[in-house]
Amino acid sequence: MIKIAVYGKGGIGKSTTVSNVAAALAEKGLAVMQIGCDPKADSTIQLRHGREMHTVLDLYNEKKQDLKLEDMTTTGYQGVICVEAGGPTPGLGCAGRGIITALEKLKETGAYEIYKPDIVLYDVLGDVVCGGFSMPMRKGYADKVFIITSGENMAIHAGANIAMAVQNFKNRGYASLGGIILNRRNVKREEEKVQELADDFETTVVGKLNRSELVTDAEEQGKTLMECYPDSEMAEEYRTLTENILKICREDGLC
Amino acid sequence: MRQSYRIIPVYTADVSGVCSALYELGGMVVMHDPSGCNSTYNTHDEIRWYEQDSLIYISGLTEIDAVMGNDAKFIRDIEETAKELHPKFIALAGSPIPFMNGTDFPALAQVIETETGIPAFAIPTNGMHDYTYGAGLAFAKIAERFVQPLKETKNADADVTSITTIPHTLNLLGVTPLDFGPQQNADCMKQNLAKHGWQVISTWAMGDSLENLSHAAEAEVNLVVSSVGLETAKILKEKFGTPYVIGTPVGDFTEDLVMVLEQVTKNTDKKKKSSEEESAPDGQDKPEIPYLQNRLSEPQEITLIGEAVTMGSLAAAIEKKYHKAVRVICPLETNAGLLALNDRVAKGEEEVQELLKDARIIIADPLYRPICPKSSSFYELPHIAFSGRIFLRDIKEGKYLSEI
Repeated sequence: MIKIAVYGKGGIGKSTTVSNVAAALAEKGLAVMQIGCDPKADSTIQLRHGREMHTVLDLYNEKKQDLKLEDMTTTGYQGVICVEAGGPTPGLGCAGRGIITALEKLKETGAYEIYKPDIVLYDVLGDVVCGGFSMPMRKGYADKVFIITSGENMAIHAGANIAMAVQNFKNRGYASLGGIILNRRNVKREEEKVQELADDFETTVVGKLNRSELVTDAEEQGKTLMECYPDSEMAEEYRTLTENILKICREDGLC
Repeated sequence: MRQSYRIIPVYTADVSGVCSALYELGGMVVMHDPSGCNSTYNTHDEIRWYEQDSLIYISGLTEIDAVMGNDAKFIRDIEETAKELHPKFIALAGSPIPFMNGTDFPALAQVIETETGIPAFAIPTNGMHDYTYGAGLAFAKIAERFVQPLKETKNADADVTSITTIPHTLNLLGVTPLDFGPQQNADCMKQNLAKHGWQVISTWAMGDSLENLSHAAEAEVNLVVSSVGLETAKILKEKFGTPYVIGTPVGDFTEDLVMVLEQVTKNTDKKKKSSEEESAPDGQDKPEIPYLQNRLSEPQEITLIGEAVTMGSLAAAIEKKYHKAVRVICPLETNAGLLALNDRVAKGEEEVQELLKDARIIIADPLYRPICPKSSSFYELPHIAFSGRIFLRDIKEGKYLSEI
């Protein structure tokens, strides 16, 4: 089982990219689980065609010890198992602690043993702002962290913060940095700046995604691009990215 | 109000369970918590505090440490102290604040172990569980990290090697002062077993050392004398195939317990032989809990309140001696399988009070008396985990239930 966490600045296109990668992995016949680690609970929305689903934390809040794994999951496009950690009402509670509790509950209810996914994708909210958001990269969770960024300064800055956190946690047995994914916004010196980020953290740019209107068209339809436009050039870009991610995991002996 | 306590105290919490379990083993126990309530952990709950040294520490977590996630300071303090004192292990125990912060204790333990070379582990306490939970997990960590496999011994012809346990030996699992009071009570259990031909290899963990505990795999069977020892028994069963029996050697029940010990070891031998011949899996299929067998089914005349295994065993001893039906009320987090059909788990003072409504004879810690019906007869049986050292002198003088 390969476990991958994807981080990046809010609004950079993490959920869209992760969902399309999940679909591309499932297309190859792999069993995939995508876990949204964001109180907004919309990571898997395109895979489940906008269908409502209960979040882990809402269910735990309601059912306490009677929490059942099957209530926490739903099956999306290409059989991808979708999970949303969920979180507190905006302005209340502690979202970071929520991620910890949600991931612990998934483990306790046997999510990984029962579904036996080949690949688990943690789609993590924005930056590593507190201990809770480092949970997906802790020992026993993700093996590799991938950072999505554009060439925009704020996105690069967030990416550097995340990479720094991964570096700081090296001696704790946490996930290692798998690489950077460039999601183009067509800003000046975009490729050069993202390459500099990769060089600074001794890693590589594992995939370059072009800005495509087809992605937003698919989003309008409430689906992934992989489902709506499987023969498009953009779909090929997602497939290439997926292969590169798998290659890095293979090189590390994860599969 | 549900699960609130107005009159009686609460049982001591998981962190005290950890400190109590590991107190005598030569390790360093660090509670990651603000300083100020240290006395709750140690002076109220720890009856050995004034007689015996132990490396128990509080990190002195401050508001700014919690807000900023100053793990490095916590690690540095521990490492500096450990380098000076050379503990045999370092145990990290969490409290409510790091629990809410999501402090990654296993990762911190890994860093400390790598940097000091001293075995370090984390016990997932948060101050919101009972002592049984914390003490149970602490012993389980010791079992995982320190118990050594049996050494192969060569037979006379030097060609055949065998790995054998020592006949008629056992480990006592789950012995802390929180349930058993002073050392004399642990010694008394050992003497009782010795009278029936059973020698104790290690006592987890009163009057014993980490070195002795590391030889636990040499025992033929494990005796789980309180629910605190159950997790350890499961680990030793999984790691070394040692069968286990659950029950406390108390009064006339000791004979029944010993009979089951004999039976279990005999069965294990047979199964080992048959597995050698047929490759069948060895060991028991489910744990033996003799205090649940042959219990009286008529309406209960006597009610015991306390920890499931010790009180269950006492219930069996009383029923055997006095032929009066006994039920146990367990106000602690416990495995339902450790209770008899008529026993009850109670959450909070109101539930205990409701269950005691019709009780005629009650045996419990003296601090339960105010919530017992006035018409009932009350026999005092202090429980350190509940009333701390208040009745310690009387316990040491053997004042309570000597007739059992």
